[in-house]
Amino acid sequence: MKFGILIQEGPYNHQASDSAYNFILASLAKGHEISGVFFYNDGVINTTKLMDIPADDRNISKRWSDLGAKGVQLIVCVAAAKRRGISQNVLIENARIDGLGQLSELCIESDRLVTFGD
Amino acid sequence: MSSLDVSGKTIELDEDGFLKNMDDWDKEVALALAKTENVDMTEAHWEVVNFLRDYYQEYKIAPMIRILTKAIGKAFGKEKGNTKYLYELYPAGPAKQACKIAGLPKPTGCV
Amino acid sequence: MEETKPRKIMFVNRKAPHGSIYAYEGLEVILIFGAYDQEISAVFLDDAVLSLKKGQDTTELGTKGFSATFRVLESYGVEKRYVDKESLAQRGLTEDDLVVDVEIVDAAALRKVMGEQDVLLPF
Repeated sequence: MKFGILIQEGPYNHQASDSAYNFILASLAKGHEISGVFFYNDGVINTTKLMDIPADDRNISKRWSDLGAKGVQLIVCVAAAKRRGISQNVLIENARIDGLGQLSELCIESDRLVTFGD
Repeated sequence: MSSLDVSGKTIELDEDGFLKNMDDWDKEVALALAKTENVDMTEAHWEVVNFLRDYYQEYKIAPMIRILTKAIGKAFGKEKGNTKYLYELYPAGPAKQACKIAGLPKPTGCV
Repeated sequence: MEETKPRKIMFVNRKAPHGSIYAYEGLEVILIFGAYDQEISAVFLDDAVLSLKKGQDTTELGTKGFSATFRVLESYGVEKRYVDKESLAQRGLTEDDLVVDVEIVDAAALRKVMGEQDVLLPF
């Protein structure tokens, strides 16, 4: 199955990001496809490379970047990102800032859109 | 560009040349903004600008282009209700250029 | 394949218009989706019914007022606009208090409509 993923909450503050990450790993392990991960609302904060995390905890943005390196499409909403100070300068590698139209595309091309939010 | 001088007043602009304060807008400011876009304001240009201002006043957003073309056609005649007509008036894109001259906020760039 | 068949996409608005950004950013998504020729609908339930309430003034809040923007939904291709009957009643509102024409539905009807969707987007 082809899953589109929508993440609406920020990292650490909320489990949405962790749940989405684990869902994606589990889906890929089962042979499913991830058509893309769209970061919206405070979800865009998942994609700043300025995170500085103690060694005994997970680094959420690095984790996303690594997933992106494996070919999972990471899309950050430009309007939501601008509001929260997420720009190209602070964006993790393997993610891109793009328009809400991309979320629409995910809704159209995925078998299921799975939302992680509050 | 970060400001415009209009009849002795300094009008602040953002990095893309949009008004920083929407309240600064008047016809003279519109003409000065049009100049920054190399647009000569004719009656037809004003029709669109005034329409955008009214639309914003009523709905608090600028209409997306296909809504704009439809509405312009309805308000000013069928021959004007198409993208080509609007691009002839505002070659750099009616959404961006006409919104700027109308003193509306910068479109969020989300399509 | 059914690539060309429009998808049924429903926006499920649940949160109050003020106090958090969900309602506003949700509305921004709705307006963009209108350009994609899909079968778009929106439902307002729980505190989200307050988004459609007439006579809002956010001046004192210092935030952008956007209840007027909901009035463009129809022209932006959001053909069906539902409001949950119970949510409306619980807040002492009737259809006359709302800024847009909506279809008032009860929980059973709403469940049915939701079940018919390809995509549900919660805000």
